[in-house]
Amino acid sequence: MFRIYPKTLTLFAAAAMVLMAAGQYAIWFYAPEEMTMGPVQKIFYFHLPLAWWCFVAFFGVFAASVMVLWTGKEKWDVLAGVLAEAGVLFSGLALITGSIWGRAAWNTWWTWDPRLSTTLVMWFVYSGYLVLRAADAGGAKGARMRAVLGIVAFVDVPLVFLSARLWRSIHPAVLASRSGGLEPEMWTTVWINLLAWGALFAAIVLARYHGAGFARRVEAALVRIQEKTLQ
Amino acid sequence: MNYLFIANVCVWLGVGGYVLFLARQHSVLERRVRQLEILDADE
Amino acid sequence: MRASWLAIAAKDLRLAFAGGQGPVQAVLLGLLLVFIFSLSAAPGDRFSPQQAMAIFWLCSSFAVVLIFSLLFRFEEENDTATALLLSPLPVQGLWLGKTLAGLVLLVLCQVFFFPAALVFLGLDPGGSPGGLVLMVLGVDLGLCILGGLIGAMGHGQGAKDALLTIIVFPLQVPLLLGGIRIGVGLMQGLPLADLGEWFGLVLAFDAVFSGAALFLFPHVFRGE
Repeated sequence: MFRIYPKTLTLFAAAAMVLMAAGQYAIWFYAPEEMTMGPVQKIFYFHLPLAWWCFVAFFGVFAASVMVLWTGKEKWDVLAGVLAEAGVLFSGLALITGSIWGRAAWNTWWTWDPRLSTTLVMWFVYSGYLVLRAADAGGAKGARMRAVLGIVAFVDVPLVFLSARLWRSIHPAVLASRSGGLEPEMWTTVWINLLAWGALFAAIVLARYHGAGFARRVEAALVRIQEKTLQ
Repeated sequence: MNYLFIANVCVWLGVGGYVLFLARQHSVLERRVRQLEILDADE
Repeated sequence: MRASWLAIAAKDLRLAFAGGQGPVQAVLLGLLLVFIFSLSAAPGDRFSPQQAMAIFWLCSSFAVVLIFSLLFRFEEENDTATALLLSPLPVQGLWLGKTLAGLVLLVLCQVFFFPAALVFLGLDPGGSPGGLVLMVLGVDLGLCILGGLIGAMGHGQGAKDALLTIIVFPLQVPLLLGGIRIGVGLMQGLPLADLGEWFGLVLAFDAVFSGAALFLFPHVFRGE
């Protein structure tokens, strides 16, 4: 059975709205302009929270997958799928904003940066995972198979990151490290936006979870009725 | 400045698109629930 | 009991060659890929070692998918999968056997890919042959460990097992990067010691996914 949490959802959605408004205000009016990069640096305030929460989502897929194997409960399977969806959305947006940042800052759309490359590979892995889910592969054993994929995908993350870092260290990169010194106002802006995107993330995941959970209940009920009428 | 604008458009299009997808899923769900109610009334 | 996984591997290899087929499909696909990639350079131009190595590993990566699809297809005919599950053999033994059989078949494929890369891509096998063999075996082992685990998921899925490739290829990325980088380093005459980190990475992949497979394989390959 799927429990739903409408009050929590309302809370997160409201928090997302308030925080996002505050975050937008901070980005455009509060945070000072960066000296060398100018206004383009403001992409950072979207990019960082998106990247951060996509990794939280992928870790969530892993944790939910472990719970599927452990408890066998259907709700964890649904949650894993929902988190993977949110993770692919967020990592996709993080990649796009990162690429635009790269074009503006380093004059190239794509460069071999370990973090960037790791995010791209993760995007591929979890997109594939979603395609497999959508194809409903595995039949009755499907939930277990999806759980195994969810675990294997996450186990791969550190290896991908290490290999991406090693790969680059022999090929010296053209770019200098990201500007280290952020002013205190910038940090405040970063934190507000991180929280805002976190609230939005939670609201999206919860809303989708409710929908997906309900859909499964309805399908199960339809099957039951069909079986009854056939008898 | 242009790049900042493009990045913004991309992000909000992405989030908006996903919310639309959510809305569509919910309308599909509603249709199924109505089906369920009709079948239930038949019995 | 101890050698039951060896028996599985031997059985699979016998079956693979019984029809005189063996991994012919995988070999042909790989050779075709090498040939098609050779068209991407103008006549007379040479491929860089990195390009040649990347194409070599791409072929191997495709071959692994075909090989494990073949190995798990054996268990579908006559529903021998159920028989294996009912036998006293630990399920992990089945994974080990399949991985081993896959490794033998993959190395066999590469025996064809390597000279093809020499001829068509101008791959230059300088440096230490021992290091090369070590590297190829390390990477192959990783590919087969992953192939044995994911391949079992395709078992009994009909056409849907083709979808698994979409997740297998990105998972292989660390191995492929390692294979390419070590291969290029060896061909450029770098001493093995300089490539220690990459060998460490490949070994870490083998170890991590062996552990994962030992835990997860029983969940993948089981009766209804």
